[in-house]
Amino acid sequence: MNSAHLPVYILLILLVSAVTTPLTKANSKFFNIKLFGSLFFVNILALLQLLMVWSSGPLRYSFGNWDSAIGIEFLIDEYTSLLVLAIVIISTLIVIFSTKDILLDISKEKTPSYYTLVLLLMFSMSGMVMTNDLFNLYVFMEILSLTSCAIISIKDHRANTMASFKYLMLGTIGSVSILLGIAMLYMVTGHLNMTLTNETISTVWQFYPRNILISLSFITTGLGLKAAIFPLHIWLPDAYTVAPNSSSAILAAFVTKVYAFTLIKFVYRVIGIEVIKTISINEYLAIFAVISIIMGSMFAIGQKDIKRMLAYSSVSQIGYIFLGISLSSELGLSASLFHIIAHALMKSTLFLTVGAVIYKKGIRKVSDFDGLGYEMPLTLGAFSIAALGMIGIPGINGFMSKWYLSLAAFEVGKPIFIVFILISSFLNAIYFLPIGISAFLKESMYREQVMQKDDLPLSLKAPIVLLALGCIITGIFPDIIMSFIERALPTFLSIGL
Amino acid sequence: MSNLSTIIDNINYIGAFTLFIIGLYTVLTHSNLLKRVIGVNIMETAVFLFFVSIGYIRGANAPIINPEVGDTFFVNPLPSAMILTGIVVAVSITAYGLSLLIRLYKDYGTLELDEIIKKEEIANE
Repeated sequence: MNSAHLPVYILLILLVSAVTTPLTKANSKFFNIKLFGSLFFVNILALLQLLMVWSSGPLRYSFGNWDSAIGIEFLIDEYTSLLVLAIVIISTLIVIFSTKDILLDISKEKTPSYYTLVLLLMFSMSGMVMTNDLFNLYVFMEILSLTSCAIISIKDHRANTMASFKYLMLGTIGSVSILLGIAMLYMVTGHLNMTLTNETISTVWQFYPRNILISLSFITTGLGLKAAIFPLHIWLPDAYTVAPNSSSAILAAFVTKVYAFTLIKFVYRVIGIEVIKTISINEYLAIFAVISIIMGSMFAIGQKDIKRMLAYSSVSQIGYIFLGISLSSELGLSASLFHIIAHALMKSTLFLTVGAVIYKKGIRKVSDFDGLGYEMPLTLGAFSIAALGMIGIPGINGFMSKWYLSLAAFEVGKPIFIVFILISSFLNAIYFLPIGISAFLKESMYREQVMQKDDLPLSLKAPIVLLALGCIITGIFPDIIMSFIERALPTFLSIGL
Repeated sequence: MSNLSTIIDNINYIGAFTLFIIGLYTVLTHSNLLKRVIGVNIMETAVFLFFVSIGYIRGANAPIINPEVGDTFFVNPLPSAMILTGIVVAVSITAYGLSLLIRLYKDYGTLELDEIIKKEEIANE
């Protein structure tokens, strides 16, 4: 089945199953077969697409066979197909986790609409990653921002409503600024296709430097707001803390990453790195990235609620991706592309393990984790693996992304960034290590120090174990991801493709 | 005189940015949440005005080919078509925001942000 229509099949299956999910009764046998059947098919198709792109090079798909100057075009290179596969697989694992866990937060009758939202979320994220058209990107982005607000507000509690209203307002300001930036680019070039825009800009940009500067600042501000870079992160901690566990896992794993990847597309594919360097946007990006790396960790240290702590650590991890973008070299770009997938694996593990603890014990205070490792060794083991990855212990993928980032900083002659990366690693250690240590070693007054087996249901256990394994495998064999990145790099860096 | 004519020529763009700033100011500073939704709406309208103005050419015809007249200047129809999609998106955002506000009003009995924060503080104590 080596069809050229694979990207459309992926999106269509997700969309159709999203629309038809509420038609069947919740948690009946047919409902589960339909939901997981369609997710299984999407996984297979994403894998096929990956293999196809790997064997025959980047795929360009124009809808309805229109010329790329008129119609909408998808551009799927090696990295994009890998990212789509990662989105689909990790979201599927989170959906498996949510079958039991979501009942904590919403009633059984409402679960079909929750899955509709998750499927729409997967649909819009995959679309945003694959599209090569600026306005199409905006439409997918709006679907994404609406559904990501909705999976927070699905829990009928006033804190959720408030958090998702805040997210909606700030997210809309972000997308409106991005649309304004796109309008200004359209003013200069008259194209909406990214490749054609890049071709035009690389020839005429000297005549419109102010236009491009203003439009880029609108776009970076908008995407920074949505990806939660430091001074614009205020919506994120509330949203992640109050959302249902599986929702916060999806939000932290991919929603902010997709916006960061979109910024990579804008910087490298639409504008072109030469122009970026000349108008020195990347210098400003670097400043905000460093502030974000340090301040995110600083805020995380003082938190009592573990989900809020993880949320602030997300802010600092987004900073790494932005730092990689701002280095504007081949190594820097590959470091941030690597970190997108590495951090998605680690953060979803962390949020799912915390979700499992909340499911089983109902505790979410950091101080209540003492001695918990004896009761839930598997869960806390997975938590510790991902936490060590966040700190940057060799053997787990978080170390590799820090390693690549440091190499890149060294290569462009800015070793000062390595100092910041080290400081942030120490800060990460300050708030992540005590949890793992006290869970396994500290005596608790309320619990017996006897090792027990995790008696979690399989649907909670399996995703956690698989994601933690993913962290270790990509940490020991980073080449699995790097080989895709190396192949995809020319599509980002060459002008005019 | 030339300054004045520049302003008159670019009045759409100036109007769009004025609206954008009015909207942004309302969203960021107003304590009434309903007015914040209205502010977002104003921002969206500003961008739509900007986008449609890009395609406008003074004295050009509507983009319908008429063989009797022959080739003339046409207004660019693409921005208008895109803004139709944009309006749909804006409507759905407004609808969702208002539905959230209805829930907030049921929970708190007010839409003023200061009072909501005060009630939240009392509830936390």
